[in-house]
Amino acid sequence: MDEMIDNGFPLTTEPNILRDMIAPPNIVSKMLSVVTGNSSNVSNTLPANSYLDFLLFSGGVLVKCEIFGVVEVNSHLSGIPDLTLSFANPSILNDVQFHPCVRFRPWESEQILSFVPPDGQFKLMTYRVKKLRNTPIYVKPQLSSESGTCRLSVMAGIRYDPGKPIDSIVVQFQLPPCVSSANLTANHGTVNILADKTCSWSIGRIPRNKAPQMSGTLVLEEGLKQLDVKPTFQVGFKIMGTALSGLKIGKLDLKNLPSPAHKGFRAQTDAGHYEVRS
Amino acid sequence: MFTQFGSTAENFSKASTMVFRIGTDAHLYDDPDDVSISPLLDSKFDSEKCEALKRLLALIAQGLDVSNYFPQKRSLLMPLCYLIDVQVVKNVASQSLEVKKLVYLYLLHYAERQRDLGDPNPLVRAWALRTMAGIRLHVISPLVLVAVRKCARDPSVYVRKCAANALPKVHDLRLEENATAIIEIIGILLYDNSPGVVGAAAAAFASVCPNNLPLIGRNYTRLCEILPDVEEWGQIILIGILLRYVIARQGLAKESIMLSLCPEDVSHDKSGSDFDTNSLEMNKTYEMSSGIQEHELAAMVSRSYLEGPDKYLSHSTNADVMSSELDSSRFTSSKSDDDMKILLQCTSPLLWSRNSAVVLAAAGVHWIMAPRKDIAKIVKPLLFLLRSSDASKYVVLCNIQVFAKVMPSLFTPHYEDFFINSSDAYQVKALKLEILSSIATDASISVIFQEFQDYVSDPDRRFAADTVAAIGLCAKRNPQVANTCLEGLLALTSPKSVNSTSGSTDDEAVVLVQAITSIKDIIKQDPSSHDKAIIYLAQNLDAIKVPVARAMIVWIVGEYNSIGNIIPKMVSVILRYLARSFPSESIETKHQILNAAVKVLLSSKGEDFHTARSILSYVLELAKFDLNYDVRDRARILRKLLSCFYVSSSGLEEESSQKSENNELPLLLAEHVFGEKITSSEMVNNRFYLPGSLSQIVLHAAPGYEPLPEPCSLTELDIIEGMKISEEGPTQVGSYEVDNSDVDSGSLNEEGSYSYDSEDSITSSRGTDNTNEGAAREADNTDSLINFSDVGKAQKEIEVSEENDFHGELMSKGALESWLDDNPSSSQNVPEMDNERSSSARISIADISKRIRPKTHMLLDPAYGNGLRVVYKYSSKASTISSSLVSVEVSFENCSSEPISKLFLTDEDSGMSSESLDQTSPTDESSLQSEKEVPTLVPMEEITVLEPGQTTNRIIQVRFHHHLLPLKLVLWCNGKKNPVKLRPDIGYFIKPLPMDIDLFSHKESQLPGMFEYTRRCSFTDHLTELTDDKDGDGSSIKDSFLVICESLASKMLSNANVYLVSVNMPVAANLNDASGLCLRFSSEILSTSIPCLISVKLDGKCFEPLNASVKINCEETVFGLNLLNRIVNFLAEPAVTS
Repeated sequence: MDEMIDNGFPLTTEPNILRDMIAPPNIVSKMLSVVTGNSSNVSNTLPANSYLDFLLFSGGVLVKCEIFGVVEVNSHLSGIPDLTLSFANPSILNDVQFHPCVRFRPWESEQILSFVPPDGQFKLMTYRVKKLRNTPIYVKPQLSSESGTCRLSVMAGIRYDPGKPIDSIVVQFQLPPCVSSANLTANHGTVNILADKTCSWSIGRIPRNKAPQMSGTLVLEEGLKQLDVKPTFQVGFKIMGTALSGLKIGKLDLKNLPSPAHKGFRAQTDAGHYEVRS
Repeated sequence: MFTQFGSTAENFSKASTMVFRIGTDAHLYDDPDDVSISPLLDSKFDSEKCEALKRLLALIAQGLDVSNYFPQKRSLLMPLCYLIDVQVVKNVASQSLEVKKLVYLYLLHYAERQRDLGDPNPLVRAWALRTMAGIRLHVISPLVLVAVRKCARDPSVYVRKCAANALPKVHDLRLEENATAIIEIIGILLYDNSPGVVGAAAAAFASVCPNNLPLIGRNYTRLCEILPDVEEWGQIILIGILLRYVIARQGLAKESIMLSLCPEDVSHDKSGSDFDTNSLEMNKTYEMSSGIQEHELAAMVSRSYLEGPDKYLSHSTNADVMSSELDSSRFTSSKSDDDMKILLQCTSPLLWSRNSAVVLAAAGVHWIMAPRKDIAKIVKPLLFLLRSSDASKYVVLCNIQVFAKVMPSLFTPHYEDFFINSSDAYQVKALKLEILSSIATDASISVIFQEFQDYVSDPDRRFAADTVAAIGLCAKRNPQVANTCLEGLLALTSPKSVNSTSGSTDDEAVVLVQAITSIKDIIKQDPSSHDKAIIYLAQNLDAIKVPVARAMIVWIVGEYNSIGNIIPKMVSVILRYLARSFPSESIETKHQILNAAVKVLLSSKGEDFHTARSILSYVLELAKFDLNYDVRDRARILRKLLSCFYVSSSGLEEESSQKSENNELPLLLAEHVFGEKITSSEMVNNRFYLPGSLSQIVLHAAPGYEPLPEPCSLTELDIIEGMKISEEGPTQVGSYEVDNSDVDSGSLNEEGSYSYDSEDSITSSRGTDNTNEGAAREADNTDSLINFSDVGKAQKEIEVSEENDFHGELMSKGALESWLDDNPSSSQNVPEMDNERSSSARISIADISKRIRPKTHMLLDPAYGNGLRVVYKYSSKASTISSSLVSVEVSFENCSSEPISKLFLTDEDSGMSSESLDQTSPTDESSLQSEKEVPTLVPMEEITVLEPGQTTNRIIQVRFHHHLLPLKLVLWCNGKKNPVKLRPDIGYFIKPLPMDIDLFSHKESQLPGMFEYTRRCSFTDHLTELTDDKDGDGSSIKDSFLVICESLASKMLSNANVYLVSVNMPVAANLNDASGLCLRFSSEILSTSIPCLISVKLDGKCFEPLNASVKINCEETVFGLNLLNRIVNFLAEPAVTS
C-alpha cells in the first residue's frame, strides 16, 4: 500500500512490479521465487485468449449482442523479448484497449500487436466485437398468472452448436418482491432459492435427449391478483476451446530470445451479461 | 494496515522461525516484549539499543501501543541520532517535545531501512527521501528541499520519481522561501528523460504551480511525444496540463465545438451538414429541443469551460454579452496549428488505454480541441468504458451525457450501448435513460421505445418511473411517436393496472404520477390532437387515487376545457363530480379543483356559464370553511377577483367587458403555478464543467476545480522565460555527483537569490570552494593527530638541516651555488631531466636577483594620515633578534608640507601608553616567547622628525604565530594614534632553506601521501615579456623557455621567502611546448623550522597561458595548504606591468 500511493498520488500500480518490489514476508513467497527462478530458465510463453459475451434478449428477440473479449498473456521469458502478435481477422474488432506495454504505432498502421511483455500474467488487450446475430443457447421463460399464483416455466436449449460442449450453464433470476413463496422444480439440474430471493437453476451440461425445463408456481402476496413485474433471467455458461467472437490469432513472433520458447494458446468463452427478459 | 501486516507477518514468521531464525530479525516478531525493553534502551551499547528499537518496531507492527516508552525519548533520541546518520534527526533533535515525538516515530518506522540518502540501493534512497518529505515540519523543510534537489539528480529513475512526489509535500508546508526552488526542481524533472519521472513531475506541477504554464513552454513538444510512455496516472494529469497550455498559448480550435462561442460563425458553420436539416425539422415542431437550443447549449458548455465559478456567477446575468466579447482572433485552426496537432495526435492512441481515466482525459482533449468531424473518434472508446466497473461507468456516463446533449449526432448510431442491464446500479440506469432519450432519433425511436416498454415492467419501480419520464421526453423530442407514447402511458394509468398495484407500495404511485406528468407534457405540446387522452384520463379519474395524479388530471381538464367537441360537454359533469368529492380531496387537488372551476367558468358560455358559476360558488363556499388556510386564502382571492360575476350577472354588456379584463388574471395565476414546474425541470443543469472533472459529476464547482485558462493569455515573453528555466535542466542533471557536498552547499546558497542566469556559476564556484575547504579541514583534523606523535622525529630532522641556516640570504646563496655548478651552458644537451640542471636555470638565477620586486602594501594612506604615507613590504632578510620573527620593511614618507614628529608603530594594546615604549624596546626573545599565540610586534625605534618629502625606512619585526588575520597596529604620529592594519603574508612565514636537488628529492620522498598537496592554476606572466621579446629580436626557443622560468621564479621569489633549488627542463623540448618545465623551491617554516618543499610544474604552450601545478610537501598540513593557496593565488594574479 505504501508503495502504491504516495501522498495520495498513485506511485506504482502495476501488480507485477509491486510483487517484485515487496516480497510478501512469508515462506510461501520464498518457495515461489525459487520456482519462478527455475521456470525463467525454461522460458515459455502462453497467450491465453478468453472471451466474455455480452448479450441481451427480450421476448425471444435478440436486442443486443456483442462480445467483450480479453487477450491475456502469461509470459515467463528471460531477457527482453520482443513479441509480435497478429490476428487473422482484425477487421472484426470494433474497439480495443491495450496494456501499456503495447506499442501504438504498429497497431495504427498494420493492426499488429507489438509488445515487450512484463513477467507474469496480464491482460494484453481487451476488445469488443459487435453485430453478432446469434447466441449458442436459448432460454425461454413463460409466465402466466391467475388469482394470486403465478405459473412459471423456463426452457433452455442449444440454439446452435459452437463445436465444443457448453459447460456449467446456470440460469439465475431475482424473484420479484411481491412473491411470498415459490415452488420450482426442474427435470434436469438443481434449483436453489436463496435467502435474498435469488433463484438459481444450475443445469450444467445440456443433455442430448431432452430439453431441460424448470417449472413451478410462485405464490404472490395477499391482495395481488397477478404479477405485473417481470424478472430478468441471467444466464451463465462456459465454452472451453473456442472463441465465439471468431477472432483468430494469426501468428506470434518472438525476437530477442536467448532460448526457444514454448508457445501456447487456448480460448474460452464465458457468458457475460447474458440476460433474458420474460 | 499495520495491524494486518503484523498479524500475517506474525503467523508466517512463527512458522518460519524454526527454519530462518538465523540471520533474520523474524524472531523479534514472536514475542517482542519477552525482554524488558526499557533497560535495553538505556543501555550504553549500540547493539542493545538497536535490539530494543527493533523490538519496539515489532510491537508497532503488531498494533500495540508503545507510547509508554515515550517518556524515555530524551534518552532514546541521543543514541539514536548517534546511530542513524541522518541529517534531519541531528537537526531537530533539540527542538520541542512534539518534534521529538515525530522524529521518534519516524525513526521507529524507518530506522532499519534508513541509513542515508547515499545508500547504493535506489529503493532505500527513495524510502529515505519519502520519509524525510513525510515529516511535515517547517524546521526541516530546507533540509528536505536539499534532499529533494539531490535526489532530483539521482541516477535512479525511481528515486527521481520519488523526488518529484516529495515536492508537493514540501510545498504543502507553505513556506514562501521554498516556492521558487520547488518550481525550479519541477522544471528540471519535467525535462527528465524517463517517462516515469515526467509523470510524477507533472503531478507535482499540477499541485504546486498549475498556472505556471511558461514552464511547460519549451518542453511542450517533448512532453507530447513522451506522453504515451508516461505511466497512466501521470498521463491523466499531463494531458490536463498540456490542454491548458495549448489553450492559453494558441487559443481555441476553430473547427471544434468551442467555436460556437462566436455567434456570427454559428449559422455559417451549420449549413450544409445533415445535422442541419435535422435540427431545422425539430425546430419547426418544438423549439425547446431544437438545434438552436443545441447550439445554445454548446455555447453554454464552452463558455462554462472557460469561466470559473465566480466568474460564471457574475456573468450569468449578462451571459449574452459575454459571448460576443470573445472575438475570433482567439481562435486558431487545429489543422494549421502545430501544437494542437501534436497534442491531438499524441492523445489519440491514449483512447486505447486500459485505464478509463486516461481514456476520458484524452476524450476530453478531443472534445475541446478536435474538429467537429473528428470528434467521432472518441465515441467508441468511451462506449468501451461502459464495460468497466459501476463507479467508473457512472463517471463516464455523466460525461457522455453532456457530450450527447451538445452533439446528439455523435451517439445516435450507438443507442444499443445504452440499453440497460438488470445488473446496473440505479444511478447508471437513470443516466442511461437520460442519454437514450436525448439521442433518440426517428430511426431509433421504435427500438428504444420497445426497450422502454420492457423497462416499465422492471421490478425496480423507481427505475420504471424514470423510464416513464424518459418516454415523455422522447415524445417531446420526436412528435411522431407522441401518439404511441401516449397510448403506452395511458395504458399504465388504466384502471386495471392501477387496481392491481393499488395494494402495493408508494413506488407504484411514483410511476403513476410520472406517467401522468409525461402525458401532461405530451398533451401540452399539441392539445388539440390529444383530446381523446384527456377524455380517457377524466373517465379514469375515479379510479386514480394518488392525490398528485388526481390534481394533475384536474389541471389538464381545467386547462383544456374548451378543446374539441366532447370535452366542453363533459366538463360540467366532471366539475359536478369534483365538487361533490371536494371535501374529501387532498389539499393539492382542492387547489386544482378551484382553479379548474374558474377556468371553466371563464371559458364557458350561455347555459354552461350558469352551471359553472353555481358550481364555482359552491366550491368556493366549501373552500371558505376548509381546514387548510391555504385553500381558504385561495378561495378568498378567487372570490374577490371574480366578484364581478356575482354582482353584475344581469348586465351582459358589462359582464363581457369585465370578463375579457379578468380573463388574464386567473389564467396567469394558473400558468404561474404550473409553468414554473415545467421550466425548472428543464433548467436543472445549465452549468457544465470540464469533461472528466469531479465537478462535472457533482454538478457544482468542487474544490480545486480550475476552468480552462484564458485563450491566448500566454505570451511569447512568458515562453522565453520558461525556456530559460528549462534550459537549466540538462546541465544540472548532467553534473550529478555522488558526493553531495557540491550540490548541497550550492543549493543552500541559491535559496536566497533567485536569478537563473547567475545561479549556475554561483553554484559551481562555491561548490568547489566548499569542497576544498572541507577537504582541507578534514585533512587538518586527521593530520593534527598524527603530527602530534611525529613531532620528535620531525624536530631531529630540522636540527640536521639547520646547519645551513647561517648562510643568510637567498640571493647570495643562489649565486654561490651557480658558481659551484659544473656545466654552465649545456641546456640543449641535458640528458636527463631529473637530476641535471639546465644552464637556463643558472642564468635565470643571476637575473632574478635584480628582478625581484617584493610587493609593497599600503599601511597608511596619506589621505588618512595627515599627509603621512606608510608602506611596507615583507623583507626576505632574516630577523636579527630571533629566527621566528618576520621582518617587515616599513617606509615612511612625509607627503605633507609640514614636518611630522614622533613616529612609531606599536601593538594595539601595548601602544596605549607611549611611555612603555622604552621598556619594551629592548625586548628579549624569552619575553616574546612567553606570550604565545598572540601576534606580537617588536617595537621599532622612534622616528623623531620626518621632514616634508623625506622618506625613512625602518624594519620592524613581527611574530605572527601563523595568524593570517590582519594584525592591528597603532601608528603614533604627532602624539595622535592612527589605527592601521598589517596584513600577514604566509609567503614570508618561511625562510629559505638552501639545499641541492638531491637533498630536495630525498626530502620530497620522505613526505608522501597526506603531506603532499597539489593545486593547479594558470600562469600568464610570461606572456607580456614574450610578446615584448618578439617585437625586439626574433627570440629563440631557449629564450622563450628562459623567459618563462625567469618570470615564474621572480614571481615566486617576490612573493615568498623561498630558495630556488633547481629549474628543470624536459629533454624533448619542442619549439613551443613548455610542458615538463619544473621549478623547485625549498624553505622552512620560521617558527618550527619544519621544511617545506614547493615544486611548480608547467604545462602548455609557450605563447599561451600555462597550466601550473603547484605541489607542496610539508609536514605541517594546515600551514602547507595555506601556503599552497597563497602561492596559487599570486601565481594566478596577472603580472604588474611596470
